[in-house]
Amino acid sequence: MHIDLNSCFATVEQQARPLLRGRPLGVTNRLTKNACVVAASYEAKALGVKVGMSFSEAKLLAPDLIMVETDPPKYHYVYKKLIGIMRSYSPNIGMKSIDEGIIDFHGTRQNINQRPLSVIGHEIKQRLRDEVGDWMKCNVGIAPNRFLAKTAASLHKPDGLDIITHKNLRSTLADMELTDLSGIAERNQARLNAAGIYTPLQFLDARSDILARKVFKSICGEDWHKRLRGWEVDDVEYSTKTVGRQFVMDDYNASEEKVRNRLAHLCESTGLKLRHKGFCARGISLYIQYKSGDAWHSRKAFKSAFFTSSEIYRRATLLFNQHPRLDNVVMLSVSCYLLEPSTANQMSILDDVNKQVRLTEAIDELNQLYGNYTVTFANSLGANREIKQKIPFGTTRYFELLCNRA
Amino acid sequence: MDQVTLINKDVNIVAFYFKNNARRLRCFPKRMEYDGKRIDFTETGMVHPTRQGQRMVHVFDMTDGSADYRLEFDAAALSWKLIAITDTQYAPISTQFAPAA
Repeated sequence: MHIDLNSCFATVEQQARPLLRGRPLGVTNRLTKNACVVAASYEAKALGVKVGMSFSEAKLLAPDLIMVETDPPKYHYVYKKLIGIMRSYSPNIGMKSIDEGIIDFHGTRQNINQRPLSVIGHEIKQRLRDEVGDWMKCNVGIAPNRFLAKTAASLHKPDGLDIITHKNLRSTLADMELTDLSGIAERNQARLNAAGIYTPLQFLDARSDILARKVFKSICGEDWHKRLRGWEVDDVEYSTKTVGRQFVMDDYNASEEKVRNRLAHLCESTGLKLRHKGFCARGISLYIQYKSGDAWHSRKAFKSAFFTSSEIYRRATLLFNQHPRLDNVVMLSVSCYLLEPSTANQMSILDDVNKQVRLTEAIDELNQLYGNYTVTFANSLGANREIKQKIPFGTTRYFELLCNRA
Repeated sequence: MDQVTLINKDVNIVAFYFKNNARRLRCFPKRMEYDGKRIDFTETGMVHPTRQGQRMVHVFDMTDGSADYRLEFDAAALSWKLIAITDTQYAPISTQFAPAA
């Protein structure tokens, strides 16, 4: 069963502020005219506002559009509630992102698995309304695998409940376009079209070897063949390969000093995430985008592993000093790679290293007690106010950590 | 556009109401005294807990029908704080989105 909260952030804002209900609403990360809409209410969507549009574009389409800034703790609360509801039906649940999750009913108790799933779906909708608020709506899709359940959940928005089985699979796909399928966007559509596949039904009927050899030219073709037929191929857990943070500069004409200030903050934030997950890294990479549209990227692997914020900053600065300064910096990204389990418990033979580890532990403890960034680098002072914590799309693994405000 | 006024001051909540929600009796503010005025809340939008360091703070999004109020209840100090008032000068709800009568 796939559960998808409808226009999650916008609906949660409308739930929290009843005066916004029934009005076109956009949620953005930063209230500036160039900021993009990260979520739009159904009223705004009906006026043509789409996720990813800039505020000024959206305002042209919907002059009465109300924009509000994101409020991560609120979404975190709804996310936790949704997890609680889902877990009461099966221990085997998975959150695909902040607003959608999967319940696998295999092996559940008799009092659950003997009830029709559609009844459970309606019950989940009602519980969400009872436990969070009566404006909350969610889509429920029921199918033999994750892909078809997600497809079912997208059929009747908002507040729909659909079931795809072998009986109605063909009739459901017959009413859809290729790009309506999750995972098929323009490029995959072009690949399918090149092989003479123009509709989801033709996609369903295509042979596995044709999809693997001609269309996707990889094992993905076989996966698609199984996926469309209800076999589970997406039950895969991916391990963390990189940990990092990026930031679009608040000032496109920022001085070198200001850029270094933001860099220091990004390194601190990366260190916080790294230690939260119990990792240390051996590589660091830096990506810079300039106002002219050019970009520069550098990465370096080290022999020694590191996890303290000061080490990350020192190593990121080594890379930053090499950047060609083509124009003003508009975007900065720091990420650590070559991750290994943390060596924080292993004492070093070098006393300086031990001192730095103890200092980091003490700072982390203080920040846990009084909120993140209470004790911070002197050269990242003030950056915390500009680089606000935004809602994490996709992964939710740092959600709890990042909601701890000062 | 929203007119958000940040207040961040302690306030008195002089009346509460109780609701038996999801098998738990929960308490919500009903009347607030602020700046010599009495504000009666007509609806509770959402209540969510949040952490400020190790302290647990409960955020209440309330409305009196003409403005939105963001209140915080500090579970350790047992104090109420008015964080912000959003004065909403919105256009009337379009008939397109008005709820069915």
